[in-house]
Amino acid sequence: MSHWLADLRTFLRSAWQGLRASPTTAAVATGTIALCLLLAGSFALLLANMEGMLERFGQEIRISAFLDDGVGVAQQRALLARVRTAPGVEGVELVTKEEALARFRASSSGRGELLEGLDENPLPASLEITLVPEQRNREGMEALAQVLRGLPGVDDLGYGHEWVEGYARAVSLVRGLGLGIGAVLGLATLLIVSNTIRLSVYARRDEIEILLLVGAGRGFVATPFVLEGMAQGLVGGLLALGLLYGFYALFLPNLADALRLLLGYATPVFLSGKAAAWLVAAGVGQGALGSAWALVQSRWDA
Amino acid sequence: MWRGAEAAHSGAGALVRLFHVSKSFLPGTWALRDVSLEIQKGELVFLTGPSGAGKTTLMKLIFGAERPSEGQVLVLGRNLGRLGARAVPGLRRRIGVVFQDFKLLPRYTVEENVGVALEVLGTPAREKRSRVFSILKRVGLQHKRFQHPLSLSGGEQQRLAIARALVTEPEILLADEPTGNLDPELTLEIMELIASAASRGTTVFVATHDHALVDRYGRRRVRIEAGAVTEDVRLGGAHL
Repeated sequence: MSHWLADLRTFLRSAWQGLRASPTTAAVATGTIALCLLLAGSFALLLANMEGMLERFGQEIRISAFLDDGVGVAQQRALLARVRTAPGVEGVELVTKEEALARFRASSSGRGELLEGLDENPLPASLEITLVPEQRNREGMEALAQVLRGLPGVDDLGYGHEWVEGYARAVSLVRGLGLGIGAVLGLATLLIVSNTIRLSVYARRDEIEILLLVGAGRGFVATPFVLEGMAQGLVGGLLALGLLYGFYALFLPNLADALRLLLGYATPVFLSGKAAAWLVAAGVGQGALGSAWALVQSRWDA
Repeated sequence: MWRGAEAAHSGAGALVRLFHVSKSFLPGTWALRDVSLEIQKGELVFLTGPSGAGKTTLMKLIFGAERPSEGQVLVLGRNLGRLGARAVPGLRRRIGVVFQDFKLLPRYTVEENVGVALEVLGTPAREKRSRVFSILKRVGLQHKRFQHPLSLSGGEQQRLAIARALVTEPEILLADEPTGNLDPELTLEIMELIASAASRGTTVFVATHDHALVDRYGRRRVRIEAGAVTEDVRLGGAHL
């Protein structure tokens, strides 16, 4: 145990000395990681908000089953009872023709005269159906719609499935783009960090040679470099997270109106704690992998 | 005429054995040619010969920095021609080397330069501190232990290199021109250190141009010229 601790102390000291010896190289590597993670983090933030928005809209999903005008009150009640027991249904409300008209008038203030002069109420009675939370998605809506279409007296259905589908496609696209761009950014960072650390390895080739000559194994020599990379990645990751939050907090008030328009009444959110931890962990991983790759590529001939 | 056959022992207790070893860096040129040697435990061997004769190459072969082109090199019971790369560090931990160009770590302090040889061995921190201080005292650098090598004189750097090589109490000590930068007084002090290591059982190779040193301490002299051993004799060395 004390042997392990002694080794760890040695490695940490050596890594610290390495960072102090080449602060410019360390700063470039750290800055590169921070910049790449900032871009990746921005995508993650956009994605999180788009998914969150879909989630919130999903909670508002309801289906309107418009009834034939010929459906009488008794049949309306029977349909109400039938739909209430259909799978995936949370609640059903019967909206009569009169209620529909009243709601229309209330919601179209100033334009209520649009319906004046008509001999009869053109609005149909409907069943307003809300879904249980787990069915508030495209599949759930489609399944219930299938049941409703088969019911006698149901004339038409109204639900925003086209919109929901389009939005889900947009989220898939953004998620795919995010993953693709994240992968490209990750690889680019890895190469840049690796090359930056190679410079550091090259600058310290004499030290490496001496350590090997006094009997150090490759692990003994390599560990401080990997720790250096991890430290740079950690700082880079935290820097990216801080900058991302800074931009989020700084620009959000100015963009609030535009966001409200874009997101409806949904509130924009920052990355979750888990996502933020992943962002920093990605920096640490990039630093470690970049160092390891740099060492693999550096030939030790001593 | 080389009298190696007469000089060589039976080989039973030999720590270093070279059998018809040749080393070539470029096709058609030989840094070492058909060298055969057996060195016993605790022997103090001086390697002499002009610059470029092959002394440094011979030492590099012994601590595994080079592989022989032909022949066999056996060190501490290991055949270096067949030694895997992973086993080389283990071998080097048993060998102390004083390099001609010192090979000190400029970013490390004097104390850390010596301590790194013990860190490689996994020596506990307290023991390391004590051993480092002790060896620095022996080479007269204890008061400069927090300085960096570049602030030391050439002679001090050389003593530091010797301290690093000796701190692990190696079974074999290889010293390439260990007194090349020292004044006569320091030369004797350093040679005393090296000779005392030999008297404690360490097998010591010293490559030098200093004939006075060989005459004074020499117990065995191996002369190399143009990559070949031309002389291998035991001498009745004078001792202080």
